[in-house]
Amino acid sequence: MEAEITPRPRVGVVKLASCDGCQLTLLDLEEQLLPLTERFELIEFPEATSRRSSGPYDVLLVEGSVSTPEQLEEIVHLRGQTRLLVTIGACANAGGIQALRNWADEPAWRAAVYPTPDYVASLATSTPVAEHVQVDAELRGCPIDPRQLLELLTALRIGRRPQLDGESVCLECKRRGNVCVLVAGGQPCLGPLTQTGCGAICPAYGRACYACFGPREQANVPSLHGWLGKELPQVQVDRLFAGFNAWSTPFRDPAERAVRHAHGNAAEPDAAGSGADA
Amino acid sequence: MVIAAASSPAFLPRGELDRLLDLLHDDGRTVIGPMARDGAIVYDEIRSAADLPVGWTDEQAPGRYRLRQVDSPRQFNFTVGPQGWKRFTQPPRVPLGTATRDGVKVEFETATPEPRRLAFLGVRACEIAALLVQDRVLAAGPFADDDFRARRANALVVAMQCTRAVSTCFCTSMGTGPEVTDGYDLALTELDDGFVIKAGSQEGERLLGKLAPGKADEAQQASVADGVAACRASMADQGVAAEGLPARLMDRLDNPRWMEVADRCLACANCTMVCPTCFCTSVGNVSDLDGAINHTERRWDSCFNGDFARVAGGNFRPRRQDRYRQWLTHKFATWHEQFGTSGCVGCGRCIAWCPVGIDVREELAAIAPPYEEPAAPPTPAPIRGAMLDGLSPLPMVSYSPAVSQPAPLRADSSVATVRAVAPETADTFMLWIEPRDAALLQASPGQFVMVDQPGFSPVPISISRVADGALWLTVRAAGAATQAFTSLEPGAQVGLRGPLGRGWPIDRALGRDVVIVAGGIGLAPLRPTIDAVLAQRDRFGQVLLAYGARTPGDRLYLKELDAWANAGVEVAQIVDRAGPEWLGQVGVVTQVLDRRDWHGRDAVAFVCGPERMMQATVSALRTAGITRRRIFVSMERHMDCGIGICGHCQIGPFFVCRDGPVFAVAELGDLFGREGV
Repeated sequence: MEAEITPRPRVGVVKLASCDGCQLTLLDLEEQLLPLTERFELIEFPEATSRRSSGPYDVLLVEGSVSTPEQLEEIVHLRGQTRLLVTIGACANAGGIQALRNWADEPAWRAAVYPTPDYVASLATSTPVAEHVQVDAELRGCPIDPRQLLELLTALRIGRRPQLDGESVCLECKRRGNVCVLVAGGQPCLGPLTQTGCGAICPAYGRACYACFGPREQANVPSLHGWLGKELPQVQVDRLFAGFNAWSTPFRDPAERAVRHAHGNAAEPDAAGSGADA
Repeated sequence: MVIAAASSPAFLPRGELDRLLDLLHDDGRTVIGPMARDGAIVYDEIRSAADLPVGWTDEQAPGRYRLRQVDSPRQFNFTVGPQGWKRFTQPPRVPLGTATRDGVKVEFETATPEPRRLAFLGVRACEIAALLVQDRVLAAGPFADDDFRARRANALVVAMQCTRAVSTCFCTSMGTGPEVTDGYDLALTELDDGFVIKAGSQEGERLLGKLAPGKADEAQQASVADGVAACRASMADQGVAAEGLPARLMDRLDNPRWMEVADRCLACANCTMVCPTCFCTSVGNVSDLDGAINHTERRWDSCFNGDFARVAGGNFRPRRQDRYRQWLTHKFATWHEQFGTSGCVGCGRCIAWCPVGIDVREELAAIAPPYEEPAAPPTPAPIRGAMLDGLSPLPMVSYSPAVSQPAPLRADSSVATVRAVAPETADTFMLWIEPRDAALLQASPGQFVMVDQPGFSPVPISISRVADGALWLTVRAAGAATQAFTSLEPGAQVGLRGPLGRGWPIDRALGRDVVIVAGGIGLAPLRPTIDAVLAQRDRFGQVLLAYGARTPGDRLYLKELDAWANAGVEVAQIVDRAGPEWLGQVGVVTQVLDRRDWHGRDAVAFVCGPERMMQATVSALRTAGITRRRIFVSMERHMDCGIGICGHCQIGPFFVCRDGPVFAVAELGDLFGREGV
């Protein structure tokens, strides 16, 4: 078999600040998993093996955001060990849900959550990997989509450009025959702004897209925001963007407004400090 | 409005609609009709009349659609929903075939369309118009899509005349409705107690004969006429000024409103997905882990997508305003020249299903309002997007003696064997390749082929020579697919389709001076022209080749440049940046042309290179006395299919793959060199 002749690319899977859900997608490939290990050498994948490696990696799948000083050090080190660095999931690509703290007073929040905040070494912000090192490809989603992961690995092996479309979720919705939940249902759906890849799952079950795949190319946030704002209070529209991809550039303005609004109105997180500056 | 009727209309009581459905089922047809689902009327399988949405009616406005229950026995008391019938005639995903690779061997197997026998129940007049538009787009051109034709031929059309309209409807102004006049097998009009029914085809007559309904009485016929007339009247104030619209719209390509609408447009593609005539597609690969078995699939795409007009070197329509203008001008203007009809049928879906309620009627009124003076486009409009007569697709002089008829366009690749891959410059190489299908050798200068590797998107490559039973393709390693060519060993197989497109009209140059201007790799498609001219050198006047390249090392065909100079071609070379070894001219290629004068000399020019370079060159050539009708350029655009059905390479009314890539500058008019088209 050809797979046995060609040297197997050395693949690592690592995590920074994240929930592990994205790397588990690799295990979710199930029947493809064995064929994959015949073609790729998994040298680092803590969710699957306790064997550890220090690289070098042909391909490194990085999950999670850069949230602590150690993680920042680690990602810089890993980049030096890696030929092709792929970020997987909203945390690695956009900073994740934890990036909501980027607009808050981090020491105050830390003090509000942990009994001994000094034990927790944390950066003031949770940021995407690409803010620190060069990223060669990204898989979007919270979590990522198994078909996209498989396509990425297949494309790497064949040598083609991975077919990861930058179009909106709407196209897949229409191809599936979903009825638009925004136009026919009046739901505040972010599908038109969101990069495809999920298969339009949420609208297929009658609920609005909440942009877990993040903003697409040409995402026109002000226009949809303004349209939704005709029916909903501005803060409610802002809040739609304060999700897994809040720190992504196109979503940042409304997400920041939402966080600052919540911050200003919520007594609890502020109790310990001087967080509210909005 | 009086309804035209071949035979006198009959009346089918509501309770007997199931008899019609039974007849259709007995003919082995699956009946597709309207159902209420998820808050909208969608088209799906109807097993009996009980599946129909009794009592439902719709309200539509820009960006808004709602279904509402009313106290009515009617089963078709609504207008169009989000889905057009293209879902069934040109489905969202169509398997095209399978490409396999076994070592160096490749094989291409084309999927055979096996459409179900369908009956479309409840097709509105605007939707019939859309089916007829699809016929022109997908089945009436030089390439007719087998899958579409089979699906269309297997679908019976049971029309439903509208007796009500919603605020987004504007069929009257597009001339497509509400009267059903053509393109149906049976046509029904719904009254409270049943349907007035008539046949519009032999198959319809046959079904009607079996159904044997009683005659519609005068009152019933009057109700139909009144209902349809009222429907028409209700649309009086919600149309577009379609008269003269194509010319007005193309005169307003620089209207600032394009930018304003782009501020609202999401480029989400919903308008194109719900449009019943939008036909653009792209092909994707689903491969196994080794790339040995690759299933190709054609799926709906949209000119609003970022990759739609992208090529290796950049994006021809990077901005939302470019994409919106492309969509609207194609739909309402250039569609006419391209397909002899408007691309819009007035169904209003793009208005209702736009998530931010952009209304094409408002945009058209703002961008292209009627001229104030009635007979106005004052000066004769520049030739814009019209094919010149007599530009034969094949030259009289050919470097391939066997040419007589152009090969039929094919959607499937045939196998070709690599003879060699040889470097040409630092980033270009020659792919020397022997096709199994001899038709590929009958290429004329300027034509191209699609090179198809299993697992990759096919790549359009211009033919730079045909000799000894093989094609010479000069390729720049610009993307993954072209990069993969570089590792092909002699004996390896790839797929080829072609020859494709319209090449250089060398016959126009007979007896005249010939000016050939090439930039960089643009010399590749011009080389066969030089070959052809040299083959019959005495039939042409003076021949100049002006060749510009970035650096001396980026020039192609170095030995041949000398050989051509010795064979009666004046070869002038110029580079942007030179090293110490370069003794020739430094600058841009137009400098070579600045000192020339072809006034009164009937010279013909062939130009190929980056679009900016071609723009500057055309300007220099015109100054030097060559008219736009005699300057020919080879255009680059994103090509996916190569046969004029995927829509990617659209420029104005042309598919670059099929109508070009070579155009007279006069044909392109002011689309040539324009940003964002």
